Amino acid sequence: MGVDMGSDMGSDLGLDSTDTRQSGAAAAPAAAPRILLIIPCFNEEASIGGLLSEIAATGRPYHTLVVDDGSTDATSAVASCRSPVARLAQNLGIGGAVQTGIKYAARQDFDFCIQIDGDGQHDPRAIETLLDAYRKDPANIIIGSRFIDHAGFCSTRMRRAGIRLIVLALNGLFSGGRITDPTSGMRLLDRSAIAFFAKAYPADFPEPISLAWAMRAGLTVSEVAVEMRPRATGVSSIDGLKSASYMIRVLGYILLARLMRSP
Amino acid sequence: MPTVLPSVETVIVISAFALIYMLVLLRKTLQGKFDLYDFLMLSMVAILPAGFALFPSLAYLVSHLTGVVFPFVVMFGALFLVVFAFLHNMTARLHRLERQNCALIQEQSLLALELQAKESSRPGG
Repeated sequence: MGVDMGSDMGSDLGLDSTDTRQSGAAAAPAAAPRILLIIPCFNEEASIGGLLSEIAATGRPYHTLVVDDGSTDATSAVASCRSPVARLAQNLGIGGAVQTGIKYAARQDFDFCIQIDGDGQHDPRAIETLLDAYRKDPANIIIGSRFIDHAGFCSTRMRRAGIRLIVLALNGLFSGGRITDPTSGMRLLDRSAIAFFAKAYPADFPEPISLAWAMRAGLTVSEVAVEMRPRATGVSSIDGLKSASYMIRVLGYILLARLMRSP
Repeated sequence: MPTVLPSVETVIVISAFALIYMLVLLRKTLQGKFDLYDFLMLSMVAILPAGFALFPSLAYLVSHLTGVVFPFVVMFGALFLVVFAFLHNMTARLHRLERQNCALIQEQSLLALELQAKESSRPGG
């Protein structure tokens, strides 16, 4: 099924024609890394426009790809004014949506891809923090963590307790990094991680499980403190009893990842 | 060897069920709704009880060989085995199809993106 669009397809795909992608990207030196921002969205018409404006306002030569995960609202229409949009014919969940972006990054030969949520929780100004962290101390995956500085929105107490359990499991079962925020959806992937996740990416609970898979495969993970905001619109899909089910299943998947030879 | 034989009514009911069910399965298989594997596995629901009812000596022999007192326990055991084997393969097939479906949807969206970009970059496009 592989379709190699090649590294010279960037201009074909109109990567330099939107508000969020700065014209300076074309004139940038050849050594400048190409960075793709992957923005998975599901019914985010209220927040996606503002997010893309914020990205443009950073003045950085980021490329963006909005992955519309089968939205039933005007997410695609709003986003397509400012960014290329990959429209998934049906809802695949966050894992399938993010992997679509990662496959795109692999085929377009991007040096880095950075995942940020379409609901406005992630401040685009923190993207540079991730890149700075990579420059200082490169790792295959760099997570924007809420729990290093404990600044900004840190989720509910119940959920933080659950995250602590996942942290214990990941740090206890795998080497390759000390993690504090495994459920953060803001993360940077370098070429090795892009190539790895383009082949396989977990469909269920992708944020913590992808870390387990990556560390199992020998990729390195580090973190940098970022501040997150409460989501601008919508509600979390993991609430109440679902949280307990989420925890049990995530821990099971982490254990499976430890036992399997290669994801 | 048989100590208790099935009554004529039992044999008639089980045979009629087996015949009708097999015909329904055959029809659906010919319509392409089931493949041969599905047909064989599902038809066990009819074949096994019919076999036990029509050949009681064989049923008693099997239960004797397996050390089970009642032949119907062997029959239900065999049915469970078939159902679990079917379920096992179906689950694996379902997950494979799910993965393929996901990959196809991703490819379709990326190809549409590529096509859109090519069309917009074409002169006069």
